[in-house]
Amino acid sequence: MKTPRQIRLDFVAPVNESRSAGLALMILGLAAVLGIGAAFNAELNERAGLEARIESMPRIRRSAPITDPKLAAELNAVQRELNIPWSSVLNELEAANHDLADTVSVLSIVPDPQKHTVRVVAEVRQLPDALKYLERLQNSAVLRFPMLESHERRKDDPEHPIRVKLTAEWHT
Amino acid sequence: MLPLWRDEVVIYFAPNRVALTRVTRGIRSRVVATRHCEVTGGSAGNPSAALACLSNLLTDDQWHGASARLIVADTWVRYGIVPAPVVKLDEDGRLSHARYVLADTFGDSLSDWVITLTDAPPGRTYIACAIPTALHAELEDVLLSVQLKLTSLKPKLVAAFDIWRKNLPFAEYWFVSLDEGSLAAVQITDGEWRRVHTARLGKEWPVELQRLRAIGRYTETSSGGGQLFVDATRSMRVTGMEALSDLTWLEPSTRQEGMPEFDLLQGVTI
Repeated sequence: MKTPRQIRLDFVAPVNESRSAGLALMILGLAAVLGIGAAFNAELNERAGLEARIESMPRIRRSAPITDPKLAAELNAVQRELNIPWSSVLNELEAANHDLADTVSVLSIVPDPQKHTVRVVAEVRQLPDALKYLERLQNSAVLRFPMLESHERRKDDPEHPIRVKLTAEWHT
Repeated sequence: MLPLWRDEVVIYFAPNRVALTRVTRGIRSRVVATRHCEVTGGSAGNPSAALACLSNLLTDDQWHGASARLIVADTWVRYGIVPAPVVKLDEDGRLSHARYVLADTFGDSLSDWVITLTDAPPGRTYIACAIPTALHAELEDVLLSVQLKLTSLKPKLVAAFDIWRKNLPFAEYWFVSLDEGSLAAVQITDGEWRRVHTARLGKEWPVELQRLRAIGRYTETSSGGGQLFVDATRSMRVTGMEALSDLTWLEPSTRQEGMPEFDLLQGVTI
């Protein structure tokens, strides 16, 4: 049966507040908090379980120390090769080559891991071009002590270029 | 005790009777104390005797430190039905409109009364109710003096209507609330309050109900619209059922009897 609605008339209490809606929102908020709390607790338990499983698993044993000197030398060589900062050295040489592309042609780049040096063989038309290239490498943050080791004019080439050999150390 | 579940003291304040009950709040509220006081020399025009009676009752520690819900007799207040304004009004505008409507009915004597309004949707009439500012302030002072925080102040007709509304139909009828010495009635059509009538009652109070029934028949818009549903104190109900058996005298069910304010309004004390 349809009944008349409640008369909200009060000299003190606010009449335009919905207590039932407020209560419903509060219950909803509490339920959300409890739900999030339960989900968080479940995640914590799962994490603790996984950590316990990892702890209980047998640890990976380290391999026995290498006693064979030949093998040790090979491993050291490989390690040295791996330690060469190839990316930064090559980027720097490429950048220098790009800056002076009209005057310098790089023919080869050979690293020496033991001495931490790199040897660059290039050809230029005139010796000042080689000096400019050397100056450019001296400004590099990756390389240090760039030096012109030798220069030689190629008479067998019709254009008579000058072949130069440069060395530089790389920062470790 | 949680702040939201403070104990509550429900008070009925009338010229000839002051009654109070303390209710503990919680999952299940429970009445823990009830007292009442018959006011000698009380009158509608002078609330001093009733206020003194209330102050005297509240001196007992058992009523202190709670929130207070106050129901005042209809003789202290004035009602008005405010028609929906043709333009949208803010809160101050609605109050001014209500003050104008009340002044139109009761004159300028209500100019300094406190007015409250129901919250009605736009385009609907709303109910205005006024209480003397001095009485409102004195009641607050009496309660504050014993650490009772006033959370609600309602007139009896509204409190009684809310108690009985689930037993009332939706269509057209009159709901009448009787108390010793006063009558308040509201005509309801389709669930909306249309007209409020108040009167002081003498010893021949059934005559006033007969008069109201005549008004109901005169103003009804549909057949049977003049039906009267009467809420009365237990003693008045017994008398009234004998004198005017054709009226619908509202009989309390367990729902009403479970409400702390119901016993207060009915004049029942534990």
